[in-house]
Amino acid sequence: MALKVKFYSLFRINLKTKGVEYEVEESITITELIKKLDQDFDGYFTQKLLEEDGTIARGTIILINGKNIFHLDKLETKVSDGDVVTLFPPSAGG
Amino acid sequence: MKDYLKRQQKLFTEAQQQRLEELNIMIAGTGGLGTNQALQLQRIGVNKIYLYDYDQVEVTNLNRQLCYGKNDIGRSKVEAAAEFLEQFDLATEITARNERITLETAVPADVDIIFDGLDNFESRFLLDQLAAKNEIAFIHAGIEEFFAQIMLVLPESKLRLKDVFAGSEKQKNPAVFSPAVTVTASIQVLEALKYLLGFDDYLENQLLHIDLLSSQMELIDLK
Repeated sequence: MALKVKFYSLFRINLKTKGVEYEVEESITITELIKKLDQDFDGYFTQKLLEEDGTIARGTIILINGKNIFHLDKLETKVSDGDVVTLFPPSAGG
Repeated sequence: MKDYLKRQQKLFTEAQQQRLEELNIMIAGTGGLGTNQALQLQRIGVNKIYLYDYDQVEVTNLNRQLCYGKNDIGRSKVEAAAEFLEQFDLATEITARNERITLETAVPADVDIIFDGLDNFESRFLLDQLAAKNEIAFIHAGIEEFFAQIMLVLPESKLRLKDVFAGSEKQKNPAVFSPAVTVTASIQVLEALKYLLGFDDYLENQLLHIDLLSSQMELIDLK
């Protein structure tokens, strides 16, 4: 079991991968997960997912096992092996 | 069965075709998605389409909003759309409602499903609340650049649009163009039909993600 992180839309196109998997011995917060992703993807996710003040950027979705972290503990929500984190910028137009 | 629907006869059982011809649809927003939905729903022979919008046609609409042309600029969108659809002289009744949707909007009692034809999440959250209040199914779609998502929210569903898309509100105008909008609206119509006509598989607690650059559609499980 691993912590799965799936990318969609522009994230997938920009990074040329569908996602990554991490073995995490203890649970980590989404903030810590973003730091891990930044190490692998050259700071991409801090730029895409966070505002300058470190809060979640408007116009991005972070789901943990299909639940939006807005309704959990936001960036302090913990994830561990077996969880699936889905990251994408939702499409707003019509 | 109406004579012009013969070529779709084999797709459905007799009961499904009859149900299809009895369906009454509310389209909230007659922009890119809404005009495409209306064209498809009229072609497949639903009973009635209610068009809701409060806006007028602008020149920047014309790259994707298929019911309007240059001569319609400045006209009420729903009136121009209704006139465009009616010229085909097909059986579907078209009703234009030139009004802004609020939580107080009186949804017609015979509506079977509400289609999201809006262009921002603030309005969509309100529309989803209106659907919940009236216990009517609601099908969301959003399109931006080459990417889209579709979500069906059933009347009994505890999982509402805001549960998934909280934080999606943005200020900027998203980039949108006709081929991607048409594909998205067509899939939205198909997914709604699968639910309304009782097909085995329809979107339940799932988000359909469409990536037209990679030519891929994927389901994301929701909770």
